[in-house]
Amino acid sequence: MATLEIRALRKTFGGVVALAGVDLTVHSEEILGVIGPNGSGKTTLFNTVCGVYRPTSGTVHWNGVDIAGKPAYAIGRLGLARTFQQAMSFPALTLRENVQIAIEHGSRRADGAGPQWSSPEELLQFVGLEAFANEIANTMPFGNLRRLGVAVALGGRPSQLLLDEPAAGLNEGESVQLIHLLRRAHQLGVGICIIDHHVGLMAELCARLAVLHFGNKIADGPTEAVLNDPKVIEVYLGEEQ
Amino acid sequence: MAQMAAIAEARPPASRQRKNRALPSSAALIATAILVVGVFAFPWFNPGYRALSFAVTTGVTAIVLYGMAIPFGQAGIMSLGYAGLMGFGAYTAAILSRDFGMNMWVAMPFSVLVAVLCAGLFGLPSLRISGHHFAITTYVMCELLRIALINGGKFTGAATGLDLPPMGMLLGVKLDKLGNAYELVAAFMFLSMLTAYCVANSRYGRTLRSIRENEQLARAIGVNANLHKVGAFMLSGLFAGVGGDLQAYNFRHISPDLYGGATSLYFALMVMLGGPRTIFGPLAGAIIVTFLPEVMRIDPVDSRIAYGLALIAVVMLLPGGVIAAAGRAYRWAARALHGAPANSGSADAGASLT
Amino acid sequence: MVTFLQELVNSLSIASVIILMGIGVTLIFGLTGIINFAHGEFLMLGAIGVWVLMGYGLGYIPALLIAVAIVGLIGFLLERGLFQFTLLRPNNGFMASLGLSIVIQHVVIRIWNSFSKSIPEPLPGVWQIGEITFIKMRVVVVAVTALVVAVTFFTISRSRYGLALRASLADRETAALMGIPIRRYITVIFAYGSAIAGLGGALTIALFPVTPFVGSEMIMLGFAVALIAGLGNVAGVVGAGLILGLVNGLSGAYGTPEWTNAYTFGLMIVILIFRPQGLFGGTMGPTIE
Repeated sequence: MATLEIRALRKTFGGVVALAGVDLTVHSEEILGVIGPNGSGKTTLFNTVCGVYRPTSGTVHWNGVDIAGKPAYAIGRLGLARTFQQAMSFPALTLRENVQIAIEHGSRRADGAGPQWSSPEELLQFVGLEAFANEIANTMPFGNLRRLGVAVALGGRPSQLLLDEPAAGLNEGESVQLIHLLRRAHQLGVGICIIDHHVGLMAELCARLAVLHFGNKIADGPTEAVLNDPKVIEVYLGEEQ
Repeated sequence: MAQMAAIAEARPPASRQRKNRALPSSAALIATAILVVGVFAFPWFNPGYRALSFAVTTGVTAIVLYGMAIPFGQAGIMSLGYAGLMGFGAYTAAILSRDFGMNMWVAMPFSVLVAVLCAGLFGLPSLRISGHHFAITTYVMCELLRIALINGGKFTGAATGLDLPPMGMLLGVKLDKLGNAYELVAAFMFLSMLTAYCVANSRYGRTLRSIRENEQLARAIGVNANLHKVGAFMLSGLFAGVGGDLQAYNFRHISPDLYGGATSLYFALMVMLGGPRTIFGPLAGAIIVTFLPEVMRIDPVDSRIAYGLALIAVVMLLPGGVIAAAGRAYRWAARALHGAPANSGSADAGASLT
Repeated sequence: MVTFLQELVNSLSIASVIILMGIGVTLIFGLTGIINFAHGEFLMLGAIGVWVLMGYGLGYIPALLIAVAIVGLIGFLLERGLFQFTLLRPNNGFMASLGLSIVIQHVVIRIWNSFSKSIPEPLPGVWQIGEITFIKMRVVVVAVTALVVAVTFFTISRSRYGLALRASLADRETAALMGIPIRRYITVIFAYGSAIAGLGGALTIALFPVTPFVGSEMIMLGFAVALIAGLGNVAGVVGAGLILGLVNGLSGAYGTPEWTNAYTFGLMIVILIFRPQGLFGGTMGPTIE
């Protein structure tokens, strides 16, 4: 089991406080959801943990290793992977090349567990894109790009995957497919932590939820309890009709 | 956002299907074989001293251009400093010959070393500055080198430059004979072409392309982008050093004006015109700009107007360069003739490095 | 002391031309994002235009006005015909402008030849103030530049037009949604920047002979000044231009003329690496986003 320990993480941009001291523990055995209004710091949290930003203060420990302030590529190599809010890919390359690069730069997991992709085709098959292996990424419809993003993140054989709004822009059917995909990845041994706004999707997928508001964590616990927490309802979910 | 803009720049239009091109098709191999034979057999067609001499220049230039294809074609970073790197190689060779009596072969590793280190140095700013700003910086660095060479007094021969001794013999072959010198340069040129091809089709080439395509994503999946960018430049310095060494010994005289920003501009023009991501692109660019106008006795002023216009046309209308456009035209013609999607693998494999 | 002051004034006139180049670069580059390596050729065309027109018998001032207008027109046509298609891909515009500068230079060479050209002094003579001799034409150059700078600066920073321009630079989409005609502004800026580069050329040829290559000699100084000051910062260009003009002029008189450009280039590299937003801060820095 892999653990991500975030303690008192603070990130400011000039005068703006994006993260005001967040404590969060992420275990790879569970599926954790992070929700909150826009601007509450969710993406900044992922970016700071994954090395896109340097933390202003606080600590981040990944499997006991202090990764705060490490460059993004070093963190990626340690088995902590992430996807982005915009659907990211290597646009002019084929899908096969996209995942091939990810596989070639992946981490070597010490525990030998988790997905071991023996070929790019195997990974594409896992996400259901094997038919498009020779297609250029920027010709793909949006739903496929989202799945490609997950595939690229999985290519590095991560122990933990942080997904930033992976369902944004997907329709009902595509969202359901994504849930299935993430569950299957979890079963393979990859921890899943997901930011999203689809409360229904989160409720179905996640056993535990954390809620951010103005850079503070205001709730953290089993999904049912959090969704019924009056503070959370006031700040994010709205009153019941 | 800027990233998307950077991704969109100068990218060859994507064909819908591309076969996995680990190995080129037979058609491509035959074309390459014909080219190799043709190039090596050139002196036997009695082209004359002038044409042969320009052919040597073209070959030396092509070597540098293949080096450029790595950071520019693969990693997507343009540098206008290549004439300077070539100059480092050439001047190192000249100075070592004058002060230590080294010949071309002994001097070559030193030329390469100096060029590689300087290429790394020239490449460092790319980690802080993007795109065109970096290009301007490299242009300026190149000009600084030229100014330093002009003011280098006795050491660099100042504005007059330096002379070099003849190339001597190699395995019993007199290299001073122009025909033999040409063959040597041609050999190095094909070696450069092959190296560039191998780099492009390797894991390293894929890594560089990932940086070009989406640097943020590349970093997220574990690519040390900074290291690879500088590394790509250093690798291109290798080619520039070899080219500089060969140029110095072939023409027996070098001077600072050969290695200024303007020359770098012409290098960039050639590589963009031919196409930095196709296997024959850099060679084509060198031939079109350096060899053809001279051999066809086109007025140099007219020819420069022509390829300035050609560059504009290529940049605006034919991304990927002339060779890539020719490849697309070939595939289009093949489809039109056969009435069905052509075996797109064959045309691609020979034409493209990626 | 007297010599020093005279050198100072001489440097000011050089600085003026560089400032005119720099303003064009900073406005176009900094406000529209179009990178035009051929911008120096506008200076060259302005100079050659004056030479050609005076060759047909026009006086200096009419020749200057017509030449500047023509250069502005050429800039307008280039923006409409070429650069407007590169707004989303400025790197393409940059590469195309490399070709463009070669084309313009060599077309001029083809029509007129590559030798240096000069005009009879439009304003010969000097002004004596005490012991200091001021060459009249150089003073005029400085004065004209100061006027242009003032007009530009106040238009950009004070007028409604300038405000709209800076807003659209900050966020193109929102500005467009608010009805600001961005494309038109970009065209106007481009033509204006080109015209004042042409003015710089017209003034230059009154001071020294020029060759068709004067553009590429000046363009780097123009870029350097704009980048050192900070793109989009017109006042900064004046400051940086004065400093660099002074360094250029003084090193020419006292120090090592061969290294003159080297100081400018070296400073530019240092600034770009360590303070990419420029010494005085600009609207658009060249950093990796």
